[in-house]
Amino acid sequence: MEAVIEVSRLTEAELAEVLSKYSLTLKLDEARKVEELLGRAPTLTELTLFDTMWSEHCSYKSSRRFLGENLPTDGPDVILGPVEDAGIVRLGTADGRSWGLVLSHESHNHPSQVLPFEGAATGIGGIVRDVYCMGAEVVGVLDPLRFGDPNGAAARRSREIMAGVVDGIWHYGNALGVPNLGGDLVFHPGYDDNCLVNVVALGLVPEDEIVRSRVPKEAADEQYDFILIGKPTDESGFGGAAFASIILDDEEENRGAVQVPDPFLKRVLSQANKAVLDLARVEGVPIGFKDLGAGGIACVSSELAEAGGFGMKVDLARVSVSSDELASRVIACSETQERYGLAVPRRFSERVLRIYNEEFDLPHVYPGACARVVGEVTNDRRYVLTRGDEVLSDSDIEVVTSGIRYDRESAPEVMELPAPVRESNRDLGRDLLMLLADPNICDRSYLYQHYDSEVQGHTCLRPGEGDAGVLSPFMDNPLGLAITCDGNPWYGERDPWRGAALAVCESVRNLACQGGWPLALTDCLNYGNPEKAGPFGAFVEGVRAIGAACRGIGRMTEEETGAEPNDPIPVISGNVSFYNESSRGAAIPPSPIVALAGRVADISRVPGQQFKGAGNPVFMIGERLDEMGGGVYNRLVYASKGGKLPEPDFGKVRAEALVMIQAVQAGMVKAAHDIAEGGLAVCVTEMILGRRPESGRGLKLELPASNLALDIQLFTETGGFVTEIATDRVDDFKALCARHDVEPYRLGEVTEERSLAIAAAGAAVLNLAGDELERAWRRTLPDLFPAGEGGTS
Amino acid sequence: MSALSKPRAAVIQFPGVNCEYESARALRAAGAEADVLRWNVDSTLLTEYDLFLLPGGFSYQDRIRAGAVAAKERILDAVAEAIELGKPVLGICNGAQVLVEAGFVPGLAGGLELAIAPNRMPDREGYFSDWRFLKSNPESPSWAAALNGSVLPVPFAHGEGRFTSRNEGLFEQLDAAGQIVMRYAKADGSAADGWPVNPNGSVMDVAGICNRAGNVLAMMPHPERCAWLGQVPEMLEGDWGARRQAAMGSWDDLQGPGPGHALFTAMVAAASRRKES
Repeated sequence: MEAVIEVSRLTEAELAEVLSKYSLTLKLDEARKVEELLGRAPTLTELTLFDTMWSEHCSYKSSRRFLGENLPTDGPDVILGPVEDAGIVRLGTADGRSWGLVLSHESHNHPSQVLPFEGAATGIGGIVRDVYCMGAEVVGVLDPLRFGDPNGAAARRSREIMAGVVDGIWHYGNALGVPNLGGDLVFHPGYDDNCLVNVVALGLVPEDEIVRSRVPKEAADEQYDFILIGKPTDESGFGGAAFASIILDDEEENRGAVQVPDPFLKRVLSQANKAVLDLARVEGVPIGFKDLGAGGIACVSSELAEAGGFGMKVDLARVSVSSDELASRVIACSETQERYGLAVPRRFSERVLRIYNEEFDLPHVYPGACARVVGEVTNDRRYVLTRGDEVLSDSDIEVVTSGIRYDRESAPEVMELPAPVRESNRDLGRDLLMLLADPNICDRSYLYQHYDSEVQGHTCLRPGEGDAGVLSPFMDNPLGLAITCDGNPWYGERDPWRGAALAVCESVRNLACQGGWPLALTDCLNYGNPEKAGPFGAFVEGVRAIGAACRGIGRMTEEETGAEPNDPIPVISGNVSFYNESSRGAAIPPSPIVALAGRVADISRVPGQQFKGAGNPVFMIGERLDEMGGGVYNRLVYASKGGKLPEPDFGKVRAEALVMIQAVQAGMVKAAHDIAEGGLAVCVTEMILGRRPESGRGLKLELPASNLALDIQLFTETGGFVTEIATDRVDDFKALCARHDVEPYRLGEVTEERSLAIAAAGAAVLNLAGDELERAWRRTLPDLFPAGEGGTS
Repeated sequence: MSALSKPRAAVIQFPGVNCEYESARALRAAGAEADVLRWNVDSTLLTEYDLFLLPGGFSYQDRIRAGAVAAKERILDAVAEAIELGKPVLGICNGAQVLVEAGFVPGLAGGLELAIAPNRMPDREGYFSDWRFLKSNPESPSWAAALNGSVLPVPFAHGEGRFTSRNEGLFEQLDAAGQIVMRYAKADGSAADGWPVNPNGSVMDVAGICNRAGNVLAMMPHPERCAWLGQVPEMLEGDWGARRQAAMGSWDDLQGPGPGHALFTAMVAAASRRKES
């Protein structure tokens, strides 16, 4: 018998006990509000449902207001802003049709901290479902990863988590058949107790084939069924959304809330989905499609119906389950992976079931997997959940989906730290080698070699070959897409506004290096406990900064190259992840992570990052300023985070990016890389070694005249670019720079010999052989992985 | 070649494979018609096809061993008939594992004669993905002998790619019969000399093996991922990397053939010859 919880008859203590008994994270006043909204005492299943729907993870109860006020979400290219699981922006026309680029960004931080392998794997699983259910093909994923200090107080645990997360990503992602296009990897002691595992997925869909996550309006005129597809429902991931919305105090206790991944079934399902969506399209049958994530069946069925303006009746007795012993609230709300919900006309249901159950033979491919009609769409805007004859919930559907809001106190903290006292006469060559070996700078090839970056056959710039991943997805058109992600916690902890703004700036520069016009941004906002004014204030500052940067830098296209933007870069999807802190109450550094997708008009011009032709001139864009604060040089040499942070100057970022994009697209550029962590010296070293150090060229560099000390010139993290220009295009490049009022600084030229020679005012500053550079740069990361614990396929 | 005489290729889609579409594209670019066929289709359909490709991926989740479950599927009976008839069959990565598990390769005494085992790598475990060079064997009975001893760069991506066997002398015997169709090698074609040029510890640096008749080839690297020049990394060592760099700025050139194209062309040509004879 379904229990009814008489909330209003219980004392505070009794109610707290009931909530605790059923592992519900609802606050006492929230539980009372459930009863008030329903106008009666809730059933246990209802309380469980609200527990999920009102979690921070699902409801954005603290954050929504600030997202709406600050982020630009619309623009000339936006097809679908952040209203469903993924946003869509117009990429361009190719193969005779207009294509939408689908973008989605999620976090799986807490699950990955507790069970690194499963947590990271299911993170990918959830995000690709978000993209598939728009009717899109998933064409790439990226993984922004943040781990604790691998040489610090929690070194062993941090390394284990990293190895487990990377294993989870490759086991799942590689099997799925979606290429990994990069991501980034940052270590910071602030993640010792709470790693960050974000995932970005991107997809492509012809604009006229987009499927929406709502029951279509045609359901007013004919009966629609609700079909549940995929893995049998079990108790895995039960309470997952609520788990993401509390502070991790006992990693052991929360393992049950982590879902179990199954990429194999996901791949078969994606093929079967494709067949069903194709059939619906060919026959002109309107459908609604949504993946199951947080809140499971109850959430997907109510949201599908409510978004279309309908009601829904679901019978849990018809659900394929792993065990008949499962409690109703578990069947209703568990987060079992690899499931989808589909609303189709009843006359079409039989054929849908046949595709899943017979043609793709789900029950034989995976025990208990199937497609079944488990409910029906109704016209009365009520949400009714039953299990056979027993009614578990019956309410206005808006009551279920309406959500909840909080106003939180905000008091952002900015760390003012003085610059360290600098030593003169340091050996800057040795300093560079030290930086190259730092975990935050060193070569990432060892990581990328775990990932399949070439499945589907469209990859033209792989992780490590440039600042952005680039795909060439069309057969008879050079149109491509570029994707990058950024976020530097060393800036965020000093100043949450600047940290977020600088992430957007760097993402724009990353795309510009490969000639990518910025199309749309997605963000994952990772912060501490929103109930505390400090972390919540950091979040608010981060959102404001992303909005300001998107407006200040602005949309750029072939037609829109003026100094002042007409439109912002739109933010079309995103995610907020709060409660990232240790049980001791230390929040992670404010960690907004942004991913920026762009359009590449002609992928044959994409230059990559490595120097190519001996004798070609090399230029720098972006004057060096004394902005060593939060930078890796001060951290390693002076154990200081102090000094002035780089200043995000949006107008300058725009002008410089316009120069790079247009230079690449005009075929002037042979190699390009943005200047970021480690400054100019690290940037040019990476252009020498790159992803293929064995084919590396060298650089003879004469620093431009400057009043700054040499170490600052070499290592300051002021944003900018270094680019190799074709010898016969130098005049064109300079003219382009002049048009945008950007100063090009000639640095020197590419050499055949793989080495780095830097001089200033005619005197040598450093001379390093390619082998020395490579030795310092390549070895660090492999040594951080506990080899032998890496798992096998 | 007129459209009517194009050989027809079947790309078999076991549950869990994930390289079926780009493999079909590569076959089409080499002059075949190509269809992706689900594992449970009516297997009499297969008699209409002239060549067969078992693509890469993770069929049946690599349950038991990679390829082991798919090797028991009914559709392989139809593939066995095609092999008897001398039709060309190519297994790539997981497809290679299926061919070995099914006993089609090396096909000496029949049954399971060798294994494609978990990689052995000095500083890592599990999945490994990068580019390597293959030295082809012009003396082999395989249709891939048409590569004529050339050296081609290809990407590989696997956790279990180490050809090995308990039967002592098996690889020497295969070598003598020309059944070792391709080996990992340095960019100039010289011997791999172990890790890291040999990326998985494969015996005798083997990357691909054919059956005795030469019509069935099982290879671990992915030629369909280098069938177009645009798929080659621009900084790759050697001739193909230089060609890729020279093509920068020309979409047409990037759409030209990559190193893997010749393998598919050789396979389709073999199917045409057989069809016409």
